[in-house]
Amino acid sequence: MTRFLLHRLAGSAIVLLGLSVITFALARVVPSNPAAVYIGPKARPEDIERVARELGLDQPLPIQYLTYMRDMLTGDWGISIGTKRPVLDEIIVRLPATLELIFAAMVLAIPAGILLGVLSARWQHRPPDLAVRLISIVGVSLPAFWLGLLLQVLFFRTLHLLPLTGRVDPDLRFTAPIADLTGFHMLDTLVTGNWVAMQDVALHLVLPALTLAAYPIGLIARMTRASMLEALGQDYVRAARAAGIADRLIIYRLALKNALIPVTTVVGLTLAYSLTGTFFVEVVYSWPGLGTFAVKGLLNLDYPVVMGITLFGATGYVVINLAVDLAQSWLDPRTRLVA
Amino acid sequence: MTVEVLRPAAITPRAGLVRRFRRSVLSDPLALTGLIVIGLLVVLAVLGPWIAPYPDQGEGQSNVPARMLAPSLEHPFGTDGLGRDMLSRVIFGARPALAVSLLVVGLAILIGVPLGALAGYRRGRLDAVIMRITDLFLAFPPLLLAMAIVAALGPGLEHAALALAISWWPWYARLARGTALSLRERAFVEAARSMGVGDLAILRRHVVPNSLAPILVQATIDIGTVILAAGSLAFLGLGASPPAPDWGLMVADGRTFILDQWWLSAFPGLAIFVAVLAFNLVGDLLLDLLDPRGTR
Repeated sequence: MTRFLLHRLAGSAIVLLGLSVITFALARVVPSNPAAVYIGPKARPEDIERVARELGLDQPLPIQYLTYMRDMLTGDWGISIGTKRPVLDEIIVRLPATLELIFAAMVLAIPAGILLGVLSARWQHRPPDLAVRLISIVGVSLPAFWLGLLLQVLFFRTLHLLPLTGRVDPDLRFTAPIADLTGFHMLDTLVTGNWVAMQDVALHLVLPALTLAAYPIGLIARMTRASMLEALGQDYVRAARAAGIADRLIIYRLALKNALIPVTTVVGLTLAYSLTGTFFVEVVYSWPGLGTFAVKGLLNLDYPVVMGITLFGATGYVVINLAVDLAQSWLDPRTRLVA
Repeated sequence: MTVEVLRPAAITPRAGLVRRFRRSVLSDPLALTGLIVIGLLVVLAVLGPWIAPYPDQGEGQSNVPARMLAPSLEHPFGTDGLGRDMLSRVIFGARPALAVSLLVVGLAILIGVPLGALAGYRRGRLDAVIMRITDLFLAFPPLLLAMAIVAALGPGLEHAALALAISWWPWYARLARGTALSLRERAFVEAARSMGVGDLAILRRHVVPNSLAPILVQATIDIGTVILAAGSLAFLGLGASPPAPDWGLMVADGRTFILDQWWLSAFPGLAIFVAVLAFNLVGDLLLDLLDPRGTR
């Protein structure tokens, strides 16, 4: 296990190094005038010259790369053109809002997806299976931004049930202000016993989380179905059947437990999907998280922000993949192969 | 996203797959629906200007007196802020959507398949280098790399297509490598090798043609996925620019009016959804045929 762990850690480190090379290339090699790109569309020539000096663009590329790496590792990710504040600070401030949304979406998607997948496998080739197959294909085909808009029309305009946008009703600032302990509103309101705000925060979470969950539900249902079918075809299941153990017990106690191991991969995949999926959901719901920040950066050609978000997102993805691999090898020793 | 789990053992000659698809599509209502919708999309893409009720408006000509009309018999999808018939706009959107998607998938195959086939056939150090590079590209969360590339090149439809192709080819490289790995051990390839046929000729005549089945299946699914991805980029403002009849752009334009003039965003978004769904329905059956054990 230790050997496997070391092997995977080394692999991730190499990938991270490669990612830094790609982002560096995107920042400095692809644009014809990196300094102009870096400083933004409205730059004066003397500013461009100053930035070119600051970025060390007159240096050879390998030297530039080393400087870039040193800055990244010491937490200097540049200054956002839009907000004039350090990019890394901006990312960290907005991270809790995004993580809270992703977490809420996962809480919806994982049980729902697994349940659908199990139902589908249990009734293979019968109507429930067909229905789940359709649901999961619809889930992965829905444009999140469009689904978000439709849900807004339905739940805000037609049914008057849920708020339209944002993370919390702005009026609550005066009546029941949320303490800023962790940045996770649900957690902060829970710890401080601020029930009024907590209810409001929960209501604001429903639609964005539902929108973000659509794709993962489809993916998880599909994967659970396939791995349940495989598990149900195993000898130990046949033996249990022959021994007269009830179907319900076989499915939920025996097969599901083993079928869930490959599902961890998909959970990792959907987390990765959510990293960018949240961009669209946040834009539609004006969610004050990383996604809206990233999209604003992309549109305003706020280059330090774009590069910061890219590196941050890619690093997050590598970490998620590593965590999934480790979880899987812990659950299923057969996967501890060192190639 | 399911590429990497396709088993090399599932290789079947292309003709066999087509024949089995023809046989089973009739008994699969979901896939049949998908196939019909794809057919309709192609018809709209080719004959759009002759089918659309207001072809000049579909292209972008405004008709201000008729602005923001709700759906009616005359304008089944309503009209937009410039009075253009939304049905015509949506019909005109089929062509760029399919064209961009075909372009992206085509480019991704052109880059990925030769590299992957070479890696799998040659093995050794070349294989390791090529696969490490694909791993790097796949280490970005979906669409993030494409977004960063568009940002580096500047927004625009061509740049979006190029960015998508650059982030898509590694999937095809992996797929082609898997099939090439198993093909290189097969008798007909060894026979060719022992007769002194060069590596490139073997790749071209034996390895690539016999890898086509899984690649075509993946391409079918990807055409839908790329329509979604390109629509997503356009929605953010990183793709086509007005007055292009682009579905994602139309959804974005209608967003501010969603509570009152819901049809502005609803119908173009529906078009994206239906197109993606159709390709996924057909792709689902194809995957089943390619890997009947359902182990994907």
